[in-house]
Amino acid sequence: MTTSTRAPRTGEPASALLSTLAAQGATGALSTESGIVYLATGHVVHVESAVTPDLGDLLTHSGALAPDGWWEAIDQAGRRCRVGRQLVDSGQLPVGALELCHLGALFDAAYFVLAHDGPALRFRPGAAHWLGAVRAVPVDTVLRESRRRRELLHRIWPEPAVDRAPLARVPGPDAADLPARRGRTLAQVDGVRTAAQIATALACRTFHTLVELRRLAAAGLVAPVAPLVAAPAPTPAPATVSAEPGPPPRPTARDEPDTALLRRLLHALEAL
Amino acid sequence: MPGIDESLLEAMRLPGARGASVVDWISGLALGAVGDAPGGDAEATAAETAELARLATESGALALTAPPGDGTGASPGGAPGDPDGPSGKEPPVQDLIITNADSYHLLRFVTTTFDSTVFVHLWLDRSEGNLALARIRLAELTDRLVLG
Repeated sequence: MTTSTRAPRTGEPASALLSTLAAQGATGALSTESGIVYLATGHVVHVESAVTPDLGDLLTHSGALAPDGWWEAIDQAGRRCRVGRQLVDSGQLPVGALELCHLGALFDAAYFVLAHDGPALRFRPGAAHWLGAVRAVPVDTVLRESRRRRELLHRIWPEPAVDRAPLARVPGPDAADLPARRGRTLAQVDGVRTAAQIATALACRTFHTLVELRRLAAAGLVAPVAPLVAAPAPTPAPATVSAEPGPPPRPTARDEPDTALLRRLLHALEAL
Repeated sequence: MPGIDESLLEAMRLPGARGASVVDWISGLALGAVGDAPGGDAEATAAETAELARLATESGALALTAPPGDGTGASPGGAPGDPDGPSGKEPPVQDLIITNADSYHLLRFVTTTFDSTVFVHLWLDRSEGNLALARIRLAELTDRLVLG
């Protein structure tokens, strides 16, 4: 039963298992607690994480692609795992734009799946992502980049709580003359939202948002609200005075659970 | 329609081209690279040029002058009433040009609607390269990369 080299033991770090699978030229989906890495013949073709916007979020929320066009491509090519190709073939997206956006999303998700290197939970041999291959990346490159990104954040401001806790503006310091991107990020800091929620609201990659937030923290403009243990479910327990969850009625803020749900639905459909 | 590799290979057809890459200036990651890199280290080159590019885009003095009427300062992004995600997609800087005794480095920022923070880096031999031509061609091919 355990003779197959493809049967990972739980507890093995995802990075070690990925390297093994890469050496075997494996195809399939490796799950960890924080996401899923899709391999095709030993290369990473896609990564999904619950805390990063996926390709569809990045493209549609930014206006680069109409939501109808995105869902149409999924309808037409999802079963064949060729959604990426379909977007290009139907003339909705230039191939260069698709590659740039896809790689951006891939490395963004990979950072959150691999930088802290949790144990691998399961490998499903042969499983393919419905997006299909856009641009394959060597496993080594993805692992190295994820480590490098962790070090980059650490060099900017060594306070990991910024990455997970709700963030608040620090009263006092002058926030004028910030670079545009940092100013946009700061404008989303409301004492409630986390970095991932801010990234979703901005339709920006989460790691890139973290970079701005850590710089804002280093500048004394932003601080984590509750630098507590980051339980997986940060329930809005203490500060909710109003009955409504999610204080600001911003559509973008409510978007995140919806996309997470849709993603889970897609996984379920894919597994049928 | 060119992808990343086709665009880089096209850049490599310019006279004197030694190497070309597409680099994310926030993470310092090379998303694609062809030809040689200074010192033979494409990753270090990407990280170093990214830092330079980031400083340029964040520079108040070098970036595009802020639109008039924004009394709060040079930051157009501070407006909280912008629900459409990333605004100001146009990078504040178009090109960075570095010359040294034996080569040119040309960095061209790529404009996309979606969130991307990339530039194309072209490394040219000084004796064979034509900086003016390269700048025009690089601008054209970065446009084609994202617009088709």
